Amino acid sequence: MIVKTILIFLLTFLGYSEWFLGTSYVQRPIVLGPLVGLAMGDLTSGIIMGATLELAMIGSISVGAYNPPDPVAGTVLGVALAIQSHASVGAALTMGIPIATVMLALNTALGQPVMLIFIHKCDKDATQANTRKFTIDMLISGWAQSWPGLVFIPLAFYFGSGAVEKMLNFIPDFVQSGMNIAAGILPALGFAMLLKMIVNKKNILFFFFGFFIIAFTKFTVTEVAIFSFIIVAFMLFYIPDNEGNVSSSVSNSETDGDGFDEF
Amino acid sequence: MNFKPQYNRIVKKNDLQKIFWRSIPLNHSWNYERMANVGFAWALLPLLKKLYPKKKDFSQALTRHLELYNVTQYISTFPMGIAAAMEEENSLNSDFDESSISNVKTALMGPLSGIGDSFFWGTVRVIATGISLPLALQGNVLGPILFFLIFNSVHYLFRYYGTFLGYGLGTNVISEVEQSGLMGKLTKYASIVGMIVVGAMTMDMVKVKFVSKIGSTKAGGSTVQSLLDGIFPGISVLIIFGLTYWLLKKKLNPLWIMLIMLLVSIAGAYFKVLG
Repeated sequence: MIVKTILIFLLTFLGYSEWFLGTSYVQRPIVLGPLVGLAMGDLTSGIIMGATLELAMIGSISVGAYNPPDPVAGTVLGVALAIQSHASVGAALTMGIPIATVMLALNTALGQPVMLIFIHKCDKDATQANTRKFTIDMLISGWAQSWPGLVFIPLAFYFGSGAVEKMLNFIPDFVQSGMNIAAGILPALGFAMLLKMIVNKKNILFFFFGFFIIAFTKFTVTEVAIFSFIIVAFMLFYIPDNEGNVSSSVSNSETDGDGFDEF
Repeated sequence: MNFKPQYNRIVKKNDLQKIFWRSIPLNHSWNYERMANVGFAWALLPLLKKLYPKKKDFSQALTRHLELYNVTQYISTFPMGIAAAMEEENSLNSDFDESSISNVKTALMGPLSGIGDSFFWGTVRVIATGISLPLALQGNVLGPILFFLIFNSVHYLFRYYGTFLGYGLGTNVISEVEQSGLMGKLTKYASIVGMIVVGAMTMDMVKVKFVSKIGSTKAGGSTVQSLLDGIFPGISVLIIFGLTYWLLKKKLNPLWIMLIMLLVSIAGAYFKVLG
């Protein structure tokens, strides 16, 4: 059991190294499932359970700023506990999906703040031109984000499914749904910081232009981007530039944030 | 136009290869605040050090790339190559407008992510899954192996050659554009595309919903959200975004803003105001 728990920990670590390894899909259930099966001594069940989970979580991919349920927790615990208790393929699914959802909330709530400490350390390292510390903080930040999973998954495996269920019931529902709400609101901060960087009196209108196209129509961001290229090309070729020296009009240090005080 | 890299200035082929290798952990440090910013800066780090021997200039350049950035990681080397070319120009030419680097990066962010996301997640992944899943469901070990190999051979092909394409495009287009005095214009228009895309992405990715009911519940399910949407769709996102921007302009630490957001979200869920 101890050896298996250590193997489960190593596979969890591999799963959470997904992004370190170039987002190469080692954490997809179809890849991780067989490895868990191998660790549990039943490769074939691992392959089949992994594929079943893959099918169920096929839409769970991170596009843009959307983070899907955590496939690492779902696959590792779902497959390992199902094989351990000689349960059916479906058991991997019924255990895996709720675990994946809760784990996403835990990693967001407990992992992200820790990660951000290291992201902000990187800011400091950059101002001090300390490249060694920058690299170290970059490396820690990624795994720091997944610390709840790295701790919880091996423990949950060791103490079994009964304990897992009790733990899941322990977290109040409103905290879990609050985390989902936060995942929707948090990107606003990043976009606000980005806007603050490139905004000036003349281009602020274009922010609202892009915003309301998405708000009022069914266009995607890609389509809006293509249109904006056409609009800009039109401006570039057909509207004469009457400002003389253009390059000074865009330097954002002097105009930073002006004209956006209406909020 | 010629997109082939020339390597006749500071940046050499092995510098670009280094960018390729260092682009691999791009999303390792992906965060909700500024997304792939640290990963992007880390990939360019050795090159920036080579371009800016003075500590102050290097630190400035590195900080410049710590602004919010997000791109499909599989083609992240393409904007990195362009950034490399622009940084090289900046290090050689004291008249170069530094803000154009951020503007060009931002302008490319939306379109590249849009194309990259739909190509890799919508096309390559779907094909890889379609081939391998039937095998895996039967317990055939070839299933997972094929999935991994199909996806990643396409992935690394794009990631590797994107570096050189981006740099070649960056050097040739930039020098041509600068000779004709178009740089200022290009920067201005790149910032316009950037603004439109940031506006679109804000509406697309920021999700907020006021679910509290108004009036008597017996009268029917009229929520604050439906009332707000009646004014115009997207107003709730605009309110949240406006408040966030206002707090930023008040020079509140982003970490505090983040904490406020978390607490408001949990409280909103508890009192059933947000959902």
